[in-house]
Amino acid sequence: MNTNLLKPGLAAYTGLFLLFLYGPLIVLAILSFQGPNGGPQFPVQEWSTYWYQHLFGATDTSRVSQLPVGESLLRSLVLAFMTTVVSTVLGVMSAEAFRVRFKGSGPAFYLIILGMMVPGVLVGLGMALLSNFIGVSRAWWGTAFVLHVVYTYPFAFLVMLAIFNRFDRTVEEASLSLGVSPAQTFRRVTFPIIFPGVLSAMLFSFTLSYDEFSRTLFTIGRELTLPLSIYGTFSVEIYPNLFAFGVLTTVFSFTLLVVYGLLMKRFTAVKSGSYKGQEEAA
Amino acid sequence: MLNLSGVTRRYGETVALEDLNLIVPDDTYMSLLGASGAGKTTLLRLIAGFEEPNAGQISLNGERLDGKAPHRRDIGFVFQNFALFPHLTVQENVEFGLKYRETGACADPKELTERAADALQLVGLDGFGHRGVGEISGGQKQRVALARTLVTEPRIVLLDEPLGALDANLRNRMCDELRAIRERLRVSFLHVTGSETEALTMGDTVAVLSDGRIVQADGSTELFTRPHNPAAARHLNAWNLLEGTAWAGALDTSAGMLPLSRPLAEGAAAQIALRFDQLGVSDLDAVPGGRSHFTARYVTGEFNGPTALSFFRAPDGALIQVVDHLGDPRLPELTEGRSYALHYAPGDALLFEGAST
Repeated sequence: MNTNLLKPGLAAYTGLFLLFLYGPLIVLAILSFQGPNGGPQFPVQEWSTYWYQHLFGATDTSRVSQLPVGESLLRSLVLAFMTTVVSTVLGVMSAEAFRVRFKGSGPAFYLIILGMMVPGVLVGLGMALLSNFIGVSRAWWGTAFVLHVVYTYPFAFLVMLAIFNRFDRTVEEASLSLGVSPAQTFRRVTFPIIFPGVLSAMLFSFTLSYDEFSRTLFTIGRELTLPLSIYGTFSVEIYPNLFAFGVLTTVFSFTLLVVYGLLMKRFTAVKSGSYKGQEEAA
Repeated sequence: MLNLSGVTRRYGETVALEDLNLIVPDDTYMSLLGASGAGKTTLLRLIAGFEEPNAGQISLNGERLDGKAPHRRDIGFVFQNFALFPHLTVQENVEFGLKYRETGACADPKELTERAADALQLVGLDGFGHRGVGEISGGQKQRVALARTLVTEPRIVLLDEPLGALDANLRNRMCDELRAIRERLRVSFLHVTGSETEALTMGDTVAVLSDGRIVQADGSTELFTRPHNPAAARHLNAWNLLEGTAWAGALDTSAGMLPLSRPLAEGAAAQIALRFDQLGVSDLDAVPGGRSHFTARYVTGEFNGPTALSFFRAPDGALIQVVDHLGDPRLPELTEGRSYALHYAPGDALLFEGAST
């Protein structure tokens, strides 16, 4: 192929790919600015922020009931946070354990990974049956939480495994040889160095838990998480307030990513400026 | 005094160190010479406590070290790759041990800063404290690693090929400085290296590690001029070894019959060692009187600056090397492919009994 055409060709392909990827989101964003009498489809009858106001109950009485997302949003955030903490701690600890070969490390590895491989619906169903059988009532902070951890922990684990794979053990040995205890060595040397990885593991755990659906469906009990309560509104009728909400959560996710990016930059750029110049015969 | 006795370390089937004995006296610069893979690093790691021996004892001033946690051994370690803490500045790197060590931590920030500054001054890095460790050169990193170790006043300092990552010029300079720093602190250094010149330059004493044992530990001149066994001689990269069997009062080697300096039993295996710089070369019919000689074919020469190496092949293919000093040449013009007589004073040859391994 002519190399002169290769670059523009690839660029066009990438552009199309991105358009395809974000197309649904763009459509959603446009439709969220639908007028009060418009429906969840084109054409947009008039441009307004009506549905955003509707979302926060700032409109006059409407034929459409307010989206019941307030509590479930909070619940989802708390659940995602709890999952993040537990999965990341477990992930770091087990990846640390896998730095040395131990008896049964192979099976242990696959058992951990299984949590993200098995079909979610099946695990959810199994958990529901199990909790019925042993008489534990289903709740978002109980049965669902456990499954969220089972699901996100392998991701955190894999991220940390990759981080430790590139980790230079001699810095820890240097710390020990200076008389610093293993616990202090972890706190003062290991942890600061692996921190960018920990951040990534946290991001994975949070996003995966935040929009988890299939595992949650059977194990949630009476109080729903956000994806489930949104799904619940589908059974009535869809209004553009859902789109407005979608746009807002996307904005929220972006904020989270920006925070992640900033933290990442802060912890990787620090003091790692590279040496430029001749080797001095000092 | 660091004392290792009967130290053995195996990795599965492979034996890295076997029944190794070594004494590092107080206030000494000792270098440990060994080929790569000889177990030099393993030995240091056993002393530092990063690994434990399968058998044997390690003690420092009579106190048992093996079995103790590495951070309680009070032994300094300088790594080949420096192993500086990448997230800390130079100053923080040096302060690290003082600040966080389990016993005898220094809590006073003023004293901390002062002692770190003193250590940096000792290694010639005044005013570099605020820099990040990514912003300094290899030689400077090596100094920071050294300062970081020395500031905690260890009882002995282990250096694992500390100059390996530096270029040749810097290496020579660091050699002198390491010696000077050690002499000021009066603490023993155990310096591991694969380079015989570095080992001989640095060490008051040089220990040669071969096949998992210390084959000889001696002063550098003594070691260089009188290696006790073929293994030590081979590591010095300055001795030709010719093996053969004793027969009729001489040694029957691949290069011919060579006289024995002391009588051996008929049929006993032995090796004769001839130093590169003690061999002379002459035409076959012009061997100077009073010197033993054998015949070998000239292969090629190698010019190294102040010295020149000439390579010969004995009839069975054994490689013989001869060093000539440019300022004081002893060798005639040599033609590639021609045979010459290599001669030496009978008293210069060393005789090792036993077959080569």
